[in-house]
Amino acid sequence: MKQYDAVVIGAGNGGLTAAIRLAQGGAKVLLVEKHNLPGGFATSFRRGRFEFEASLHELNDFGTPDNAGDVRVLFDELGVTDKIEWFPIPDAYRVISQAEKIDATMPFGVDAFVEKMERYVPGSRKSVRRFFDLAEEVRLAQAYSNSVGGKTDPKYMVEHYGNFVRCGSYSVNEVLRALHMPKRAREILGAYWCYLGAHLDDMSFAHYASMVNRYILRGAMSPKSRSHEISLAMVERIRELGGDVLMNTAAVSILTGDDGVRGVVLDDGTEIATRHVVANCSPHVVYGQLIENVPERIVRATNARKFSGRGFTMFLGLDKSADELGIENHNYFLYDTMDSVAQYDKMRTIEENSVQATVCLNRAQPDCSPEGTCMMYFTTLYMEDDWARIKPQAYFKAKEFVANRMIDRFEKDTGAKIRDHIEEISVATPMTYARYCGHPQGVIYGYESQYWDGLMPRLQMMGEDYKNGIRGLRFASGWSMRLSGYSSAYFAGDIAGRQTVGDIKREG
Amino acid sequence: MFTFKRQMFGFMDLLRFKKMIPKRRKALEEGSSKPLAKSYRVNETAHVLHPGYQKAKLVAIREETSDTKTFTFETERPLYFRAGQYVTLSCNVGGSFVSRPYAISSAPAAALDNRVNITVKKCGFFSGYLCDEAKEGDVFTLGDPSGDFCYDGVRDSKTVVGVAGGSGITPFYSLAQAIADGSEDCSLVLFYGARTEKDLAFKTELDALAGEKIKVVYVLSDEVCAGYEHGFVSAELIKKYVSDDFTLMACGPEAMYRFLDGEAEKLALPRRRFRKEANCVGVRDVKPADCSITVHIGFETYTVKADVRETVLTALERAGLRVPSKCRAGGCGFCHSRLVSGEFSIAGEDKRRLADAKFGYFHPCCSYPDADMEIEVPKMK
Ligand SMILES: Cc1cc2nc3c(=O)[nH]c(=O)nc-3n(C[C@H](O)[C@H](O)[C@H](O)COP(=O)(O)OP(=O)(O)OC[C@H]3O[C@@H](n4cnc5c(N)ncnc54)[C@H](O)[C@@H]3O)c2cc1C
Repeated sequence: MKQYDAVVIGAGNGGLTAAIRLAQGGAKVLLVEKHNLPGGFATSFRRGRFEFEASLHELNDFGTPDNAGDVRVLFDELGVTDKIEWFPIPDAYRVISQAEKIDATMPFGVDAFVEKMERYVPGSRKSVRRFFDLAEEVRLAQAYSNSVGGKTDPKYMVEHYGNFVRCGSYSVNEVLRALHMPKRAREILGAYWCYLGAHLDDMSFAHYASMVNRYILRGAMSPKSRSHEISLAMVERIRELGGDVLMNTAAVSILTGDDGVRGVVLDDGTEIATRHVVANCSPHVVYGQLIENVPERIVRATNARKFSGRGFTMFLGLDKSADELGIENHNYFLYDTMDSVAQYDKMRTIEENSVQATVCLNRAQPDCSPEGTCMMYFTTLYMEDDWARIKPQAYFKAKEFVANRMIDRFEKDTGAKIRDHIEEISVATPMTYARYCGHPQGVIYGYESQYWDGLMPRLQMMGEDYKNGIRGLRFASGWSMRLSGYSSAYFAGDIAGRQTVGDIKREG
Repeated sequence: MFTFKRQMFGFMDLLRFKKMIPKRRKALEEGSSKPLAKSYRVNETAHVLHPGYQKAKLVAIREETSDTKTFTFETERPLYFRAGQYVTLSCNVGGSFVSRPYAISSAPAAALDNRVNITVKKCGFFSGYLCDEAKEGDVFTLGDPSGDFCYDGVRDSKTVVGVAGGSGITPFYSLAQAIADGSEDCSLVLFYGARTEKDLAFKTELDALAGEKIKVVYVLSDEVCAGYEHGFVSAELIKKYVSDDFTLMACGPEAMYRFLDGEAEKLALPRRRFRKEANCVGVRDVKPADCSITVHIGFETYTVKADVRETVLTALERAGLRVPSKCRAGGCGFCHSRLVSGEFSIAGEDKRRLADAKFGYFHPCCSYPDADMEIEVPKMK
């Protein structure tokens, strides 16, 4: 029987990073991926003369060599930074809500952001500045928490990160109000909320501030050949370090006994002996489908959690340039209302949801498609399982309904004209995401960043969650302690990979 | 730095922070004890749209013309597709595990009842096997419905002008049925080219479907016949039947595509209005030479012989290895494999993702070995 120190199930961002960390830690590691490509959502696909990015709008917290963000530092440590060519994203975002007469384009860089906000919302400067002060403290506190593996010393925390501790238990809206930020400024600053998929009454401030800070402080980057380039670079790295990687290979069960994990069974029946598994898939899948006789304590803990948004993306290849079509920006958020709670509510059904986060990649990387063309992605989230009622026969028409609405909205909100220039179109729905990564109901953002299950309690309970789980089983994905998103999933892989190296030493 | 406070006394904020852990602990303990789901509705629908490989039993064979037959398969599970898509059909032929893509010629609705038709013209290795040797009761492996040679209501004109050459009729026959039963809402003007009247498959069926939304123009190249157009499908002929905006969709041999390229130019069709279905990569015209390919699949390693005229995929299949393949035209990326060492040439345009070239990945279905190679191929799932 084949034997490995650790098996990583899934080659998404979390799984890839965990596998590198394990190999770097001297472990003999096997990475299995059910799809024929690595990366999970971090991939690309071709249609005609276009190569579409499957998910990445922008990678935050990367920075430049002399102003390195946490992600660059991690990539340096993993040994992959130089395998990838990067380009910078120009502006942070443009947010439009026609109904509420908001149209703001926000830059990267804290100073620039604060000043631009002051122009849109006079009198906002002080509170927005304070937001970034708090956000920076959140970042530092997290770095400290990371460095001690989540086992933070409460006294040290209060002494060094007092503001963080005092704001850390509140929602975004609670903190922004406490900062006396004018309503308009709160709305513009809150525009990123749909990237995390929980509304601002529910989302923990620490989580949101941490993400906004990661974007604004160091700007965002993207790989030249789409996220597929990062995923392939990571696979190459795993191989260089002596790890084994198998594509088209699903794990169908994790064998457990009195002493936790003892093996993994692959889809062709091959049994792998191992005492450690890092799962890149969700706890719902692991405990619901891969492990028999799951203790009730774990069933309860898994059921308690709430699925976040189910994804939908339309990809367009257009036969005119962004200039010719009047597409001005790289990244748009188009909302009906700036009240995230009301907006979240409208995102439950196919009929009502018309929110979109839209990207024109050529505005950041002009040569990403042939001259005289451009590429766009339109993404939205569904907060309930409305797609579950769509029968196969109605599927293509449902796709078309949403696609048409996205185009209409984009044209109406921005004045650009794109409808008559569609050369390629591809539409991914919750069904696509369910199939592609195997996540329940087509969820793309893991468990929702609800108030009680936000970033801070998850990080602080890492040790406890492991003890309450199954020995030898750790999770590294958008479903884990850092929540979802590219950088979060990479960090989750980093944490779980290093922890597993420790487990192997301790537990054998 | 200012001091953040939300409650009157900062220590209340601290206390609240401390309570986060007990709060989450409690919520986790109080979750439902109901067993976790084994499957989810959205995932189940996804499984009908993308059923994966399954067994399919050949239940009927029908002769359409002297060299073309329709094969009806009964699948294990229901599936659904968009008219114009293809499936791969595979089985063991003389010790080789062979698979080929075929456009589905039946209606999408029938697939929900586990019925899929493909229509095959006898012209090569696998089609010859199907036409001459396959019999009712034989069991094959059927892959996912794939490809995007489909009408798209957002992208395309409401009028589709179809140009079918020979067995290229199959996706259009499916589309015509889908229009007739309401699953597609475009209208179709179909130019169906064949050598003689005898070579037209589905003529009776197409004539029966013709109506307000479907019009069929038969174009015979080798025969002059009343009621039929004669020659090739030209710009002029298209203009004779269609006046408004349309999307041109073509499925047929390469020679037909080359001719149509010229006609599309005369019609001043923008690129987005002209779509062609890709054809399988064939042999290349070079001096025969042998080389050897070392293949890693999963934990196993094999060495197989290859002929530089044939694709890497063909060499693997000839050796009896079960390897993934779908479009066999280089475009779908399903056979995505890694080059460890050696050299290869790509047939036609390089349709790989950008990063693939950089990190040494290639598509065996459209790549010819130029010398000995060592490669890593994912197993067929
Ligand atoms: C449309 C879209 C846009 C997005 N935009 C952004 C953005 O701009 N910025 C950002 O930061 N984030 C973005 N995200 C989120 C980001 O893509 C994800 O959070 C991140 O990629 C998740 O990584 P992961 O490690 O959880 O792995 P996943 O990508 O979820 O992959 C999991 C992998 O595990 C495999 N797997 C599952 N079960 C098994 C099994 N039993 N055996 C073997 N393999 C298995 C799956 O096939 C898959 O490859 C976006 C996501 C989507 C879908």
